[in-house]
Amino acid sequence: MNQGTLDRTRFERIEAYVLGSMSVDEHALFEQELASDPALKAEMELQRENTLTIELGGMDRLLKSVSTEQRANGADLRTQGAGWKSYLKYAAIVAIVLSGAFWVMTRPTTNERLFAQHFEADPGLPVAMGSTTNLAFSDAMVAYKLGDYQEARDKWSILLKADPANDTLRYYIGSAALAMDDADAAIPFLERVAADPGSAFHDKAMWYLFLAYVQQGELAKAKALPLDNDTAYGERARAIKAELE
Amino acid sequence: MERIKDTYLVSEPSWLVGLRRNDPATIRSLYTHHFPTVRQYVLQNSGTTNDAQDIFQEAITVLWMNVKEGRFNTGADSDPGGFLFRVAKNKWLDTVRSAAHKHMKVVHDDRISAVGYDVDDDTEDRIVRLRGVYDKLDDKCKQVLDQYYFERKDLATIAESMGVEEESIRTIKYRCMMKLRAFRKTIAGEENNEAV
Repeated sequence: MNQGTLDRTRFERIEAYVLGSMSVDEHALFEQELASDPALKAEMELQRENTLTIELGGMDRLLKSVSTEQRANGADLRTQGAGWKSYLKYAAIVAIVLSGAFWVMTRPTTNERLFAQHFEADPGLPVAMGSTTNLAFSDAMVAYKLGDYQEARDKWSILLKADPANDTLRYYIGSAALAMDDADAAIPFLERVAADPGSAFHDKAMWYLFLAYVQQGELAKAKALPLDNDTAYGERARAIKAELE
Repeated sequence: MERIKDTYLVSEPSWLVGLRRNDPATIRSLYTHHFPTVRQYVLQNSGTTNDAQDIFQEAITVLWMNVKEGRFNTGADSDPGGFLFRVAKNKWLDTVRSAAHKHMKVVHDDRISAVGYDVDDDTEDRIVRLRGVYDKLDDKCKQVLDQYYFERKDLATIAESMGVEEESIRTIKYRCMMKLRAFRKTIAGEENNEAV
């Protein structure tokens, strides 16, 4: 087995062979290479095994799902007697009453509603394979893009300790915290970036800081932010302020 | 452009082609047609419906693995029902013979003695080993790799469903597969050390 690294181009070529997505000509050429290159052959066999491993995981998941479906659609329901449907309407009534009571007790405040209505998490930065110089940052960005905000915060927080002036890290830690509905934690990070007009993230930080203040009910601070004339966010900021009046 | 995967034999039974492609409809069809026989056998032999389902899932997995690796002889066994029953029956007998079930009584079934158990234990050992490797992956890797290699979705579709760029999915896929590769190299190294 090849003990070194496997670059992505070579990996994807082997992958195309294993998945049968090569053209006939590419396939024939690759088979010639396999015949004369034992390292390539070993790598291909390893990748075939790994692909089978993933497929087995998928098959286990699918079988569980089909088994559950069969159980739900099959004899289990039929053996529960003919009268079970009559109980459904009572269950539905109880559920409606309970959910209504729950909504009254837990309905969001105006601030929370406005925040939920206008907040959309920053989509993050593109992650490219070329960025090997900043692999740790990219790893965290991948987690962020997949919605694993806590993982992203943890990884970026480690990087921030080594580079405390980094506005990109501060902005995205704040963004991840806000996406987790943790405005309290997001505010100090966003305040630092919003106070730096030279930062590439200044305007966005200002907008998310505004939303964080709204969510926290710190309306005086929200209104004091100079967002009204901002090209990207001014209109939405004014609309929110009008609703808060 | 002609692709290699388009050149599969068209004369193969549809269930076999479907299994090779991890087709959910094929799995559902196998379940619907062949599970009742297995359930009846397990229920007759002190088992429950849940036991039967566990056993049947394992039997389908063994069948799937054999198909994937080209070891299923369609000439001699074009009906998967017989194969599934034999595997399920033998797995249940193993369970019955275990200490926890030693007081169970096994009902004779002509289908059992008429056909031998033609699944070698290597397949089942292999399934256990592969599951052990799969469990090393984190959930994020499983999510992406499962969609790409098992469900055979393209990168753009996965990216859209997860709300990220296609390039990010491509990167995640590569890195996760490299984790799996590194793990296998570790195992191979340990085995070599034991052999020395």
